Amino acid sequence: MRRRTFIAGTAAATALVSAPKIRAASKDKKYRTALIGSGWWGMNILREALAAGQTSVVALCDVDQDRLEIAAEEVNDLSGDSPRTYADYRELFEKEDVEIAIIATPDHWHALNTLAAIEAGAHVFIEKPTGHTIGESQAILAASRASDRIIQVGLHRRIGPHHVSGMKFLKDGGAGDVGMVRMFVHSRGGIENPSKNSDPPENLDWEMYCGPAPLRPYCRQIHPGGFRHYLDFANGTLGDWGVHWLDQMLWWCDQQSPKTVYSTGGRPVRGEAILTESEQTSDAPDSQIATYEFENFTATWEHRRFAGQGPEQTSIGCYFFGDKGTFHIGWRDGWTFYPADSKQQIIHQDSQLQEPDGHNMQLLWADFLHSIETGKQPTANIEIGHQATTASLLGMLSLKLGRSVRWDGEKEQVIGDDEANRLLKREYRAPWTYPAIG
Amino acid sequence: MSSIYQRLISLLLIVFPGTAISEDWYRWRGPHLDGISTETRLNCDWKNDQAKLAWKAQVGTGFSSVVVKDKRAFTLGHVDDQDVVYCLDVDDGNQQWKFGYPAELGDRDFEGGPTSTPTIDDDRVYVLARAGELFCFDAASGKVNWRKQVADEASVRLPGWGFSAAPLVVGEMLLLNMGESGVAIDKRTGELIWSSADRECGYATPVVVGEGASAVAIFASGKAYTGVEAKSGKQLWSERWLTSFNCNAADPIVHDGKMFLSSGYNRGAALFDMTGETPSLIWKSKEMKNQIHGCLLYKEHLYGIDGDMESGARLRCMEWSTGEVVWSVDDLHPGGLAIAGGRLILLTEPGELVVAPASPQGWTPTSRATVTGRKSWTAPVISGGRIFCRSIDGLVVCVDCRE
Ligand SMILES: NC(=O)c1ccc[n+]([C@@H]2O[C@H](COP(=O)([O-])OP(=O)(O)OC[C@H]3O[C@@H](n4cnc5c(N)ncnc54)[C@H](O)[C@@H]3O)[C@@H](O)[C@H]2O)c1
Repeated sequence: MRRRTFIAGTAAATALVSAPKIRAASKDKKYRTALIGSGWWGMNILREALAAGQTSVVALCDVDQDRLEIAAEEVNDLSGDSPRTYADYRELFEKEDVEIAIIATPDHWHALNTLAAIEAGAHVFIEKPTGHTIGESQAILAASRASDRIIQVGLHRRIGPHHVSGMKFLKDGGAGDVGMVRMFVHSRGGIENPSKNSDPPENLDWEMYCGPAPLRPYCRQIHPGGFRHYLDFANGTLGDWGVHWLDQMLWWCDQQSPKTVYSTGGRPVRGEAILTESEQTSDAPDSQIATYEFENFTATWEHRRFAGQGPEQTSIGCYFFGDKGTFHIGWRDGWTFYPADSKQQIIHQDSQLQEPDGHNMQLLWADFLHSIETGKQPTANIEIGHQATTASLLGMLSLKLGRSVRWDGEKEQVIGDDEANRLLKREYRAPWTYPAIG
Repeated sequence: MSSIYQRLISLLLIVFPGTAISEDWYRWRGPHLDGISTETRLNCDWKNDQAKLAWKAQVGTGFSSVVVKDKRAFTLGHVDDQDVVYCLDVDDGNQQWKFGYPAELGDRDFEGGPTSTPTIDDDRVYVLARAGELFCFDAASGKVNWRKQVADEASVRLPGWGFSAAPLVVGEMLLLNMGESGVAIDKRTGELIWSSADRECGYATPVVVGEGASAVAIFASGKAYTGVEAKSGKQLWSERWLTSFNCNAADPIVHDGKMFLSSGYNRGAALFDMTGETPSLIWKSKEMKNQIHGCLLYKEHLYGIDGDMESGARLRCMEWSTGEVVWSVDDLHPGGLAIAGGRLILLTEPGELVVAPASPQGWTPTSRATVTGRKSWTAPVISGGRIFCRSIDGLVVCVDCRE
């Protein structure tokens, strides 16, 4: 039964597995750490933090009391720490002296959580995307520039070994002159039947979950994990997976901004989004195409939550098309170069991921600690996270508007389209107020 | 007549514990409630990876497993807006009777269809529908003796994926996993005997420890495993066991004064000492996460499916006393597991049967054969020298392993 795996991984045989014991602490300094959003990914991050040996977990925050209880028990099992638990992050920052805050709430909360953390003087590990609207991400960027705190964004694909070596291969000209990039994530799926709305479970503070977003009726599809397919809280596959792959593309092109973005898509298979008093479906597009025009190349994003991999060799990643051939950077399948000259050898490198869930958080966390110690910019700093997030949100913006947008990357404004510029922000539900930028 | 026969069988079992030539698998997890068949004469030496498939039948979408008694096999499946109870002849798979009742496919997050397994008691078959209706059929004719909307009568809510535990017969009672800590029904009349608070139940079948007046029944709710006095439903203890999606689906395993619990979604497993008033923790581990299938305990080792079924789970052997993983195979795509005659009988997700010694020495398959050839997540069932396998889309395959 479901869930988090919306792409079936290829399971590799591994040798004997022994229960992970607490890994030895390497350094004496322990950072007083708080986790805001103690769900799936938040706990994945916190486990890495604990394993790195420089964390003492002082506080956990979640609006779901059950999540808090499970998370606190696990932290205690792993480290012996007995974190205090909070339902409201504001209270947490008021009462605790936090040196590192991990933000892993649903996207619509990222800005308010992160700004409060910076305000409280914490270094921040924030999950992508860095905003639900572009203005939120701008506000985080401005706040981080105004402070000396380190902000690492959870773009672990910036540091994963096969990504680093793949990027080197590309930048060394392995694929020749690249003129086109295609980013894609495909999975299986079909029609979506509406789910009945219900009272939120007693352990969940639904009002606080929705927070600045509209207070939509609760249904059990949304929490945990399902929020990513509801546009009130997130931005669908492009706003989720898209951020990772857009970031790979921006890494390759040295952080250029797209000039023009156009996106189209919808829910031809899942069916029209439904939201009534009694039932609802998700409302994120089940398929979407976005084109990003840069100075001298074009990149496309494509996702499909039906039909699966199909005839392709892979269902996820980026293709970089160059005159020497096609370079694919993927997830579990590592990277592969397919030479244009079919007589030449295919070049391949395996991924080196941590399981479960196939990530490289260990490296990213170590990099974060290193930055805190040295003051150097982290690998996935807020500028990087902000740009990848902005690119994904521009795609969503164009999709919503139904027209292309011209983007001024300097001013971070849509050129000549007031309606589009208004969509850089959203209305917040009282009593929450949209963050001021700078 | 048949109850005398049954007594004879249990007599035989007392005389020769652990072995039988043929036994009825008349309830969920088999006659001994452990998923282990004591049948020893199973011929699984398949040549060229081909087993002798006695027959195939179509029963519609679902996860219900097969139960067998007196040459009749029963299971459930969803067909055309109905959940259908099938009675099949074990010799040829011919349908002896069927009975459908209106039901939604209910395919949220999975293929849908009925998830509970029928229970046979004497000449009756009990079926718990996902929406909370309980049916009592005459096993031979399919006549409905009675039917009750138990969820309404006991005023308990449906869990997210509907009721999925098999009814458990304990003396004159039927125990159902509904509400916070179960519901008891008079197995003759369908009258409600006791019920529990209106909280979300879990998906595991109740387990009973002890006998008679002091018997304790353990129920999985969405948030705990709770021991109640079987005769009254009075709560004796409760072990809080939070799992994402309130999905506590694996039956607890009680053995040697200890209780093993396990759930998926990164919850993991734990062993408790049960000799005191309340369970007390012996060990905990994240290395056995039973999402939908309970482990099998065999010779002080647990054999189980660890992890998320959809993303590729692992077959593991874990030491009961310590929780140490003895071996783990990651690329098997396990779909369901049984043990018979000291052998693991694994139905893989793609519908292949694989046989290997049930041993802490490792996974060393001796034979394999494609059976359903389709996505299968239901544990195989062994009865009368036959292995019954079922795919999610409703193909039931009877593998003849009689010598
Ligand atoms: N970098 C990656 O590879 C990666 C992978 C997965 C998820 N993520 C990101 O992590 C974030 C969380 O995703 P998830 O899959 O873990 O979701 P989840 O639903 O499992 O966890 C989110 C948790 O936040 C809690 N929450 C909601 N509002 C809150 C508030 N105001 N204060 C405190 N807690 C609150 C929810 O109750 C829930 O427990 C998302 O932004 C997602 O994009 C990143």
